[in-house]
Amino acid sequence: MSSDTYLNLVNSGFTGKLAKQLGLPQPTPLRRFTPGQPLLEGPVLVLGGPSADELAHLLSADWDLDVHRHATPETRYSTVVLGLTDLTHPSSLGAPVLELSGVLKKLARGGRVVTVSRAARTEDAPAVAAARQGVDGFLRSIAKELRGGATANGLVLAETVPVTAPSVVGALRFFLSTRSAFVDGQLLAVDSSAGSLPSSWDRPLEGRVAVVTGAARGIGESIADTLARDGATVVAVDVPAAGEQLVAVANRVRGTALQLDVTAPDAGTRILEHTVTRHGRIDIVVHNAGITRDKLLANMAPDKWDSVLAVNIASQLAINEALLASDDFSDAPRIVSLASTSGIAGNRGQSNYAASKGGVIGMVRATAPLLEAVGGTANAVAPGFIETEMTARIPAVTRQVARRLNSLQQGGQPVDVAETVAFLASPAAGGIAGRVLRVCGQNLVGQ
Amino acid sequence: MARRTPAAAPETTLPRAAYVLGGNRIPFARAGGPYAHASNQDMLTAALDGLVARYGLQGERIGEVAAGAVLKHSRDFNLTRESVLGSALSAETPAYDVQMACATGLETVVSLSNKIRLGQLESAIAAGVDTTSDAPIAVSDRLRRQLLDLSRARSAGQKLAALAKIRPKDLAPSAPRTSEPRTHLSMGEHQALTTAQWGITQAAQDEVALASHQRLAAAYDDGFFDDLVTPFRGLTRDANLRADSSLEKLASLKPTFGLGLDTPATMTAGNSTPLSDGASTVLLGSAEWAAAHDLVPLASVVDSEAAAVDFVHGVDGLLMAPVFAVPRLLERNGLTLDDFDLVEIHEAFASTVLTILAAWESEEFGRTRLGLDGAFGSVDRARLNVHGSSLAAGHPFAATGGRIIATVSKELHRRGPGTRALVSICAAGGLGLTAILEAA
Amino acid sequence: MTVVVLPDVPGLGGLYARAAASSVRPRRQTDLPDVAYVVRSVRADPAHLTDYQHLLAESASDLLPAGYVHVLAFPVATALMARADFPLPLVGLVHLSNRVTQHRPLSLADTFDVHATATNLRAHRTGTQVDLVTTVSVGDDVTWRGVSTYLAKGVFLQGAGEDDRSPFVPPVPTGQWVLASDTGRRYAAVSGDHNPIHLSSLTAKAFGFPRAIAHGMYTASLALAGVGAARGDAFDWSVDFFKPVLLPSTVSVRIASAGTAGGFDLAAWTSVPHLTGNVTPTP
Repeated sequence: MSSDTYLNLVNSGFTGKLAKQLGLPQPTPLRRFTPGQPLLEGPVLVLGGPSADELAHLLSADWDLDVHRHATPETRYSTVVLGLTDLTHPSSLGAPVLELSGVLKKLARGGRVVTVSRAARTEDAPAVAAARQGVDGFLRSIAKELRGGATANGLVLAETVPVTAPSVVGALRFFLSTRSAFVDGQLLAVDSSAGSLPSSWDRPLEGRVAVVTGAARGIGESIADTLARDGATVVAVDVPAAGEQLVAVANRVRGTALQLDVTAPDAGTRILEHTVTRHGRIDIVVHNAGITRDKLLANMAPDKWDSVLAVNIASQLAINEALLASDDFSDAPRIVSLASTSGIAGNRGQSNYAASKGGVIGMVRATAPLLEAVGGTANAVAPGFIETEMTARIPAVTRQVARRLNSLQQGGQPVDVAETVAFLASPAAGGIAGRVLRVCGQNLVGQ
Repeated sequence: MARRTPAAAPETTLPRAAYVLGGNRIPFARAGGPYAHASNQDMLTAALDGLVARYGLQGERIGEVAAGAVLKHSRDFNLTRESVLGSALSAETPAYDVQMACATGLETVVSLSNKIRLGQLESAIAAGVDTTSDAPIAVSDRLRRQLLDLSRARSAGQKLAALAKIRPKDLAPSAPRTSEPRTHLSMGEHQALTTAQWGITQAAQDEVALASHQRLAAAYDDGFFDDLVTPFRGLTRDANLRADSSLEKLASLKPTFGLGLDTPATMTAGNSTPLSDGASTVLLGSAEWAAAHDLVPLASVVDSEAAAVDFVHGVDGLLMAPVFAVPRLLERNGLTLDDFDLVEIHEAFASTVLTILAAWESEEFGRTRLGLDGAFGSVDRARLNVHGSSLAAGHPFAATGGRIIATVSKELHRRGPGTRALVSICAAGGLGLTAILEAA
Repeated sequence: MTVVVLPDVPGLGGLYARAAASSVRPRRQTDLPDVAYVVRSVRADPAHLTDYQHLLAESASDLLPAGYVHVLAFPVATALMARADFPLPLVGLVHLSNRVTQHRPLSLADTFDVHATATNLRAHRTGTQVDLVTTVSVGDDVTWRGVSTYLAKGVFLQGAGEDDRSPFVPPVPTGQWVLASDTGRRYAAVSGDHNPIHLSSLTAKAFGFPRAIAHGMYTASLALAGVGAARGDAFDWSVDFFKPVLLPSTVSVRIASAGTAGGFDLAAWTSVPHLTGNVTPTP
């Protein structure tokens, strides 16, 4: 993992002052999750109509937070939740939004703004659809406005999903917590009331068995660590050549190491066989293994194209086929695939990579319905600029620029991706299916 | 604790089965290669950690870990225990060192299996390690004695007197010898005598070497070793493996052993094992322990027989002891060579394999030396060392047994119940250790 | 026969010095002196025994290897050879062969007597040879008897004789000896035989050898050690010496079972033969 020297400089003494005077970006170090950490430090303001009442009840009664229903002047709120599921007209957005306006300047460092609204549909009355879609633009804009490591994210509920549905509760908690530190400006759809709340929010994956490919280093390593921290038994998978690092990861998370090339024809069978034999079940598969072979298409050699597609998408399709055919992958299973912002917005020199990552997005969308019957989901996580060994190899100036091209003005850490993966893999996320959640600090590119 | 009543008629109870549940080794390196600065303890710990990771044994208290090294520093008096303490296993795992030359690794498998069969252990890890890169260098005998005298000296005068006895030439280090202590012949020179005695040609030896490389390379390409080998220090495959070896290349190598004999010298660097560094481990357990840990028994360790030959007085070749061990082992178990689906004969030299086979195929040897009516039997080459052996993989002395046992156990499990393997390892000192395994 | 009783086993160094001094006097004797040399109540020293066992790769035991008994006993015979009336000059004698019969092993606990005579003065192709007979006994019980045959080259007391030894054909080796340049000095330190031909190239050259040579009894004793425990407690140990082993040297060795006859054949050679012999257990 590379260190962000600039972030350190602008947050210390003289260089910090200088940066401010020069009007340079002022990224704030993000607070990350540690077990036992309080969900929020400071009061929560819950704004909005009738659905806000239900949310306020959840926050105060179930999570024991200091919940305000109206803004108290001079209060430093840690979080503002806007219950917007009852919007009928764009004009009804004004009241809650303007009340939010009054407290924004006093929002705590690393504060949170979360909207809970409904998806705009073609069958909606035009005014209703306008109000609902308006939340989208509004949310993305205030995410860009917030400073001090604060983020804004929205939950977009399908028509029949109540605000008390497990995935709404789970996603709301994810967005409020430091687990979502580098998720910003995102609107996450909750499609159904499927899923279940964990008995412990600190160990939501207790009793679950997870497979992580590409687990020897970088983001995969962090995913293995995070899933294990959340209670999962982890099977760490990587190519035989990465075995030495894989051993360290597997032993640290007290899981098992499986040396395997995911492109092997029998990879899916071997993952199933190892995981079920050793651990009795298989609940979560995280497709993290991936490679880059960057070249402009004009200069692309066939092997560079083929290998990227083989590792990044074809292997996932083949493994999923084996999983879907197995009776063992049937207890509310979760597939979480690593996509990329390149797969959404494209990236010069990464036509092969972007094709594979775009493919991942299409794949999870089409795979999710196949898992619905067993309470399963398939989703993707699209990281933006993450500080890894891979991005450390980007030339210095390019890297500096890339880091700042998001609302949080810094690169994310592997653990940020891992936290999002862990959330999507959790029982509570059962109502989120076929979706892509970006972990990019609201990167300027793409959606 | 309440005293248990003695078990009823223990003499009628057959020992239970001991199973090989898996294995792990690091790729074997050539001496002076990527592990040049790794110690025996480093390599053994890495191999143990890989085993722990593969089978999820973190923090597990294993019944016993036994391992050894042929070339060992005196500071490594508790090599195995120290490696266990450095590994992810429970610190409450007992461990001890074993040494039986190149048979060390197999001996740990045999003795620990027997403890499991007796019910003394539920689980065990058998292992072996060796480095010829970081081999212990001893001081000369004279210097050692003088230093010991010095350490015992009490007065300054005694100390000065002891120091004064040290001569510059005493300071020359004494490297470990790979020659036999009683004959002062290297293993290669010994095998050259045996090779000449049995008239083994270089071409025949090169064929054995080529098959070893080709089969090992194919096994790697097939992913066979994905769950047997964990990379170490950047090495992902055995460094000695030459997938592109050919009979022409092998034939072009100059003989290195037997140059002083009347017969043509046939043993080259290509059909002899190189000095190697590496470590291997084998996980053993009872059926109950395996089930409780969701592990699948691969093969059971059925029986074992050791033999030794009087090579000192030229009665038999140094590495020919398996020739005698196997007939005794098979007789006891009511088996013949034809009953084995797999035969693993450690390739100390290509000619070791060939002289062992030749002795078994010899009518005269069978009658005069093995006390049989005729030849002991022959081994179908298609069943011999099916995934290559030491010529290709290299031979870190004490680590070879674990490599063979883990490899053959996996292959037995692949082939399914009823299949059987014979394992034979020759060792310095005229030793041979052999074992029978059956698919679980 | 005159019996000369020495108080202790004499040091070889002193004997050589005396013999060297007497060699300048003309010898008139053509017969062996009718004398026996005796040392009573000899005991082995444990530290000395250990040094010997380590040097010769003999097993550590309280039993004295037959070669070690030679080391203890033979200086008594040397004292006889160093007499002024001994017909052959001690300095320059060549050890031709050595035959030892051990009836039972001596131990550190034994107190024994050594008795030495010279006998069988006879002609050799290149000079005159003589047998030195040394017996070791505990009380009346002879436990060890050695016959060492020496040759005085160029001394023809009774005309020339024949060499009846058959030509040497190198056999298949069973091992080798890697003899370093300090081999002579190390055996000298244990045996007390500091004959300059064994000690260094320089001193050996003074006596016409290109380099230092190994002690014959050292190679014979190495061969005996090579037989190991199979020699048993009672045996005949017989060696013939050929060319001296120039140091340093790697010597091919065969120490092998002699077949159905029992016993072991011994041979040591390089490009030339150095030693042949056998060790035969006796009832």
